[in-house]
Amino acid sequence: MIGAGYLLITALVWTIIIGLAWGLSKYLKKVYENEKTFLDKILDPVENIIYRILGIDRNKDMGWKEYFLSLFTFTVFTAAISFVILTYQGMLPLNPMKFPGMSWSLAFNTVTSFSSNTNLQHYGGGSTLSYLGQMVGIQFLQFTSAASGVVVAVAIFRGFAGRRDDSRNLGNFYTDMVRTMTRVLLPLTLILAVLLIVLGVPQSLGGYSLVKTLSGSFELIKVGPISSLVSIMQLGTNGGGYFGANSAYPFANPSPLTNYIELGGMMLLPTAMPFLFGRMLRMKKEGRTLLIASYGLYAIDLAIALIPVTTLGAGMETRLGGFSTALYTVTTTAFTTGSVNTSLAAMHPLVIMAALMGMMIQATPGGIGVGAMYMLMYVLITVFIVGLMAGRTPEYLGAKITANDVKLAVIAFLAHPVVILVPTALAYALGAVHAIGLGTGPVGFTQILYEYTSAAANNGSDFLGTTGNTVFFNVSTGIVMWAGRFIPIFIMLAMAGRMLDKKRSTEVALRTDNLIFPAILIISILILAVLTFFPFLAVGPILMHLEGIKNAL
Amino acid sequence: MKGGKLISGTLRLALVLALICGVIYPVVVTGIGQALFPFQANGEMAQLNNATVGSYLIGQSTNNSHYLFNVRNDSASGVDPDITVTSAMAQAQVIHNSTNISLAYLDGLIHNNTRYSMFFFGTAYVDSLSLNILIIDHFHNSIAVYGKIYNGLNTTGS
Repeated sequence: MIGAGYLLITALVWTIIIGLAWGLSKYLKKVYENEKTFLDKILDPVENIIYRILGIDRNKDMGWKEYFLSLFTFTVFTAAISFVILTYQGMLPLNPMKFPGMSWSLAFNTVTSFSSNTNLQHYGGGSTLSYLGQMVGIQFLQFTSAASGVVVAVAIFRGFAGRRDDSRNLGNFYTDMVRTMTRVLLPLTLILAVLLIVLGVPQSLGGYSLVKTLSGSFELIKVGPISSLVSIMQLGTNGGGYFGANSAYPFANPSPLTNYIELGGMMLLPTAMPFLFGRMLRMKKEGRTLLIASYGLYAIDLAIALIPVTTLGAGMETRLGGFSTALYTVTTTAFTTGSVNTSLAAMHPLVIMAALMGMMIQATPGGIGVGAMYMLMYVLITVFIVGLMAGRTPEYLGAKITANDVKLAVIAFLAHPVVILVPTALAYALGAVHAIGLGTGPVGFTQILYEYTSAAANNGSDFLGTTGNTVFFNVSTGIVMWAGRFIPIFIMLAMAGRMLDKKRSTEVALRTDNLIFPAILIISILILAVLTFFPFLAVGPILMHLEGIKNAL
Repeated sequence: MKGGKLISGTLRLALVLALICGVIYPVVVTGIGQALFPFQANGEMAQLNNATVGSYLIGQSTNNSHYLFNVRNDSASGVDPDITVTSAMAQAQVIHNSTNISLAYLDGLIHNNTRYSMFFFGTAYVDSLSLNILIIDHFHNSIAVYGKIYNGLNTTGS
């Protein structure tokens, strides 16, 4: 059983984060609705210089197609910049350890991974990447992919809010992107990075140092720009660590305090998004609905993971203990961050199952920005189901939800299982699984299912690590990561474009702002997820768990 | 022309942000860290006899020695310096047997350095490297094995 103290700590973390996110959402609304903030004096001139360099019309309001195309083209360029840095890092500066460039397939995997906010890693950062690679190859994409999630959410929120005047469309991609960086991500990461340094996370460009240990052997102390990376990897729900061992490595996560601060860091912005939705709609209770549904699912996830006893085991870090490790593993998948503070192979099958569920649902509360987007997708499907049961035309926010809207939402939903299950089957059929020494039993199957689920959900936690560094897994997960990222974004931006022009009635057929609707929403999401994925969970972690019980008898 | 504008605008945005987020931001954080918190920013390096002997955050293998605290070898990071108090107490018995350091001293050392995985409850643990440094520093004049380690650290020192 879980002690009361553990539940108290969890409740405390939730309360603090929800409180901070609520406050932050007030500020975020000002940022995205161009209202005055205390940072204007410093940031307005900086942003003006950036706009001048870009040479764009910052007042131009974009439709959903232009917004998507700008985001997509921008992402291709960011990935290309990082690809060049990673493959040529051997000849570039800030490489005191003299690491060579990455192979093309590993670099392809890495840039598709970080540009899609996935951060699946088939390399061990501490022994592969130069400082420039960590900074411009990795941290840069962690910023841009996180900001992409935020701007997509903001554009979709504007669409769902509807036109308030004739001119308003989904907004301007460039100003949204620039303001997300200068006013949201950079200030927050700067604060977090300095706080983490104070608490022991290194930040240096001085090179690794070789020291003679007490027993007379030599040890490489791998310091680098770690704090600046960890802060954006958490706040941006990226999850790709400086080291292969990620947040288990003491330099990335030195103490229980940093562990909880990093945990809160990844929860903050996804938790602020439902509040921002409510504020931008001028309907705060609609935001509350999304928040309750996502935290309700997160609680169910946690309950599954905490059934097994949470004591310190092999493959965990002593300073973090069993409970914090399980809490972190569930949270990192529920928020699709993907940083891990343990070896996943050491975790109980039920923890792995909870982790898979978080990544299969993607809205518990999900990754930065996109989590709220997926929740809106579920809302549309749910109001349709409820409409069918009640025999009424489905409506959301006063707008009629037509057959085409529901088709779009269902396509967005089905994209996820398709990009997970098809490549999982292919990996077996083409012998790629066998080639890396994994079998067809529940343990091997769970690892492969986890790999593609994590890739498609843009999570990034994985079992394979550097063993996944084969051309097949590098390329296939690379494709899955972009498909899992951009197909739903494309469809949901289109949906926002449709919502924008829908007539809104003030008569409400189905209330979505009460406390009953989130409960219906949770049930409908669970049914959808279970119907879709249950057979695969059954031959993976559930079978592993049952075998464990059988062996114990 | 529209396509050209899209390409030039997004490419320039990508380049500007690569500079701001990929270079300026980490360099500024490094500057702040190095100027204000150099000990932490450089990895909390441990000193003994005027020599750097490692980082307090990174565990060191001590080859199952009978006179030093040994790290776990089944941790996630592979370099976890922390051991549970239970394990430390068992190891204290071994160290006592091979060096004659009193159990009371070792118990006190462990208890003075105990921390908890949940701040005030949870797994009780100690940093093995800190304990070893404290022991060597305290006993290098009186116990030969520690003197040997101590003097071997700094061959140019006194």
